[in-house]
Amino acid sequence: MVFGRAAFPPRLVGRILKLMPEPSPRRRSNSYHRQLDLIAEMSHDFATAGNLGETLQRGLQKVAAFVGAEAASLFLVDETTGELVCEACVGPVDISGLRLPPGQGIVGRVVDQNKATIVNDAHSDPHFAALIDAKTGFSTRSILCAPLSVRDERLGAVELINKAGRGLFHPGDRQLLRALGVSAALAISNARLTRAMVDQERVRHELQLAAEIQRGMLPGRMPDGFPVVGINRPAHEVSGDFFDIVELPGGRIAFAIGDVAGKGINAALLMARTSSIFHCLAKSHRRPAALLATINQELCETDGRRGMFVTMAAGVLDRATGSVLLANAGHEPPLLYRDGDFTAFPAGAPPLGIAASLVPPTMPEQWIELGGGALYLFTDGLTESRSEDAMLGAQGMRRLIGETAALSALPRLQAIIDRLTPPGAALRDDLTLLVVEDGRPKPLLAARFEVCPECLCDMRHRVEAAARAAGCAGGSAADVVLAVDEACQNVIRHGYRGKGEVILEMRRDQAGRLEIQLIDFAPPVDPARVKSRPLDQLRPGGLGSHFIRSVMDEVLFLPPPEGAGNFLKMVKGMP
Amino acid sequence: MSMMLQTRRDAGKTLVAVSGEVDLQNSGELRKALLAVLSEHRHLAVDLSDVGYIDSSGIAGLIEAYQMARQSDLRFSLATVSAAVLRVLKLARLDEVFAIEAQPIQEGV
Repeated sequence: MVFGRAAFPPRLVGRILKLMPEPSPRRRSNSYHRQLDLIAEMSHDFATAGNLGETLQRGLQKVAAFVGAEAASLFLVDETTGELVCEACVGPVDISGLRLPPGQGIVGRVVDQNKATIVNDAHSDPHFAALIDAKTGFSTRSILCAPLSVRDERLGAVELINKAGRGLFHPGDRQLLRALGVSAALAISNARLTRAMVDQERVRHELQLAAEIQRGMLPGRMPDGFPVVGINRPAHEVSGDFFDIVELPGGRIAFAIGDVAGKGINAALLMARTSSIFHCLAKSHRRPAALLATINQELCETDGRRGMFVTMAAGVLDRATGSVLLANAGHEPPLLYRDGDFTAFPAGAPPLGIAASLVPPTMPEQWIELGGGALYLFTDGLTESRSEDAMLGAQGMRRLIGETAALSALPRLQAIIDRLTPPGAALRDDLTLLVVEDGRPKPLLAARFEVCPECLCDMRHRVEAAARAAGCAGGSAADVVLAVDEACQNVIRHGYRGKGEVILEMRRDQAGRLEIQLIDFAPPVDPARVKSRPLDQLRPGGLGSHFIRSVMDEVLFLPPPEGAGNFLKMVKGMP
Repeated sequence: MSMMLQTRRDAGKTLVAVSGEVDLQNSGELRKALLAVLSEHRHLAVDLSDVGYIDSSGIAGLIEAYQMARQSDLRFSLATVSAAVLRVLKLARLDEVFAIEAQPIQEGV
């Protein structure tokens, strides 16, 4: 037998107590008031507790002393394992940190049944965990145990052990412990809520920081008149969408839009990673297909997160020609809006991050001639947004683009987004929208023609009509027609060596001169091979280039945009 | 508008009247027709008054006929030319090489 801190052996104390007279009604009333005082005092302690652990420890001491128990302990349910863990104890043996499997011991039963109990002969109770006594050398005789619970949440239990002097715990003790248990449970629950709120606040603060960093990754405001403009409106602090615009040498602009599957911080991190890789590689990769293939490779090599992928479309705008080379990996088809018509450019490969082999550098690319039109890239947050309970869809997107076409780029994008987000309504998904415009003056003619001996007549008539509509007098119009015809003949003879396609654009430049651009997709031709011959050698052939140089004021072979073969620019001053 | 050719005998010469637009599609046909006339007749005159457009390949056909006539001591001349044709001949500086019998009827240029 082990004696506790009590100065007398319990047996002796019990005898003494038995010798004492029963408390008179007056004394009972006195004890009742002392109980109320204790409850009030401890409830106040719990309510104002700064350090819950210390308060529980102190409270346990007080109640053990008040009831006259040799030892007391407080167990809380471990939220992850369900085990009962001793968080505070008083008495001869320190069992703090002791863990009991769920449901074990009298404590376990009290927690399970959520009911206070008195066990005055512990060893005859089948639930009694005799192991603890065996380990600690303590001898448990009687137990009073009350649950700690708030509403339906079982937090744990508090127990008093061995009523001093071999006395028995009585229902009054149980009521007292129950009452104290309720206020302790409230205090524990409040402390947990507070901690959760602090955690939440910290997470919120960190999310705000993440959002700030993420916003910093989006391109800043572009100078007025810049041909690529984007807008991103995240549904939450952080976004799984991104877009980027990177200015390259030679009047080229790389751009991209992406949407990471899922929302929240993991999507945001993958977005940050993908957009960083793009931003870095855009400067060294001339072709968007190769760029997407490299990003895919990178994501597949290092990302172990299953089920996460990125839809992405990337392109390069050549400002001089208004042409775009586009590659689309699983992304919502970008839309070209030109002369009131829409053309969609569907994906040429699955999304990025699924498997390295799925996005080869040879994936299809699309050559897009803006021809005074605008290319819209957007995430499915737009097409899947709802108005009047119907999804916007690709058709609705076209309608919105058409309706806002008169606005300049940024206000236009804002107007489209505003139409999809009624004031006060929460966004369901991130919204990202990018427009790539032909920054050049509107063309008089912008068309893709087949060139072959039989096709030239029709093209000449369209060129003549456009030139006359632009105010060219008969002679100048005839010059322009001749120059275009001869240039196309050169493409047929020296480029394709047969039929092929050209993109022809005519526009007035800022100086009012007529500018003609002819782009083909034939193997590059050395301009020296098509130079004009001296006229004193009277022979057929070689006259065409001479005609072109004679009737035009400027004839330039320029570096072709990526994906094209040859780029001829001709300029004629208008009288 | 495609090209049309009409050949007729007229006071000792063979007149080929061309109408329409002469371009890469049909200049080969014109060239063949002109060389065929020269292989059988001594004097070829080409009427280009009804030609709205001629390109370098059409001009090349005229040059070949001109060269064949010179080599074989035959005569090659242009009967009349339209303003459009004259413009192109001038660009090639052929207006003074080819014998042009009649000046073009001025169109509203």
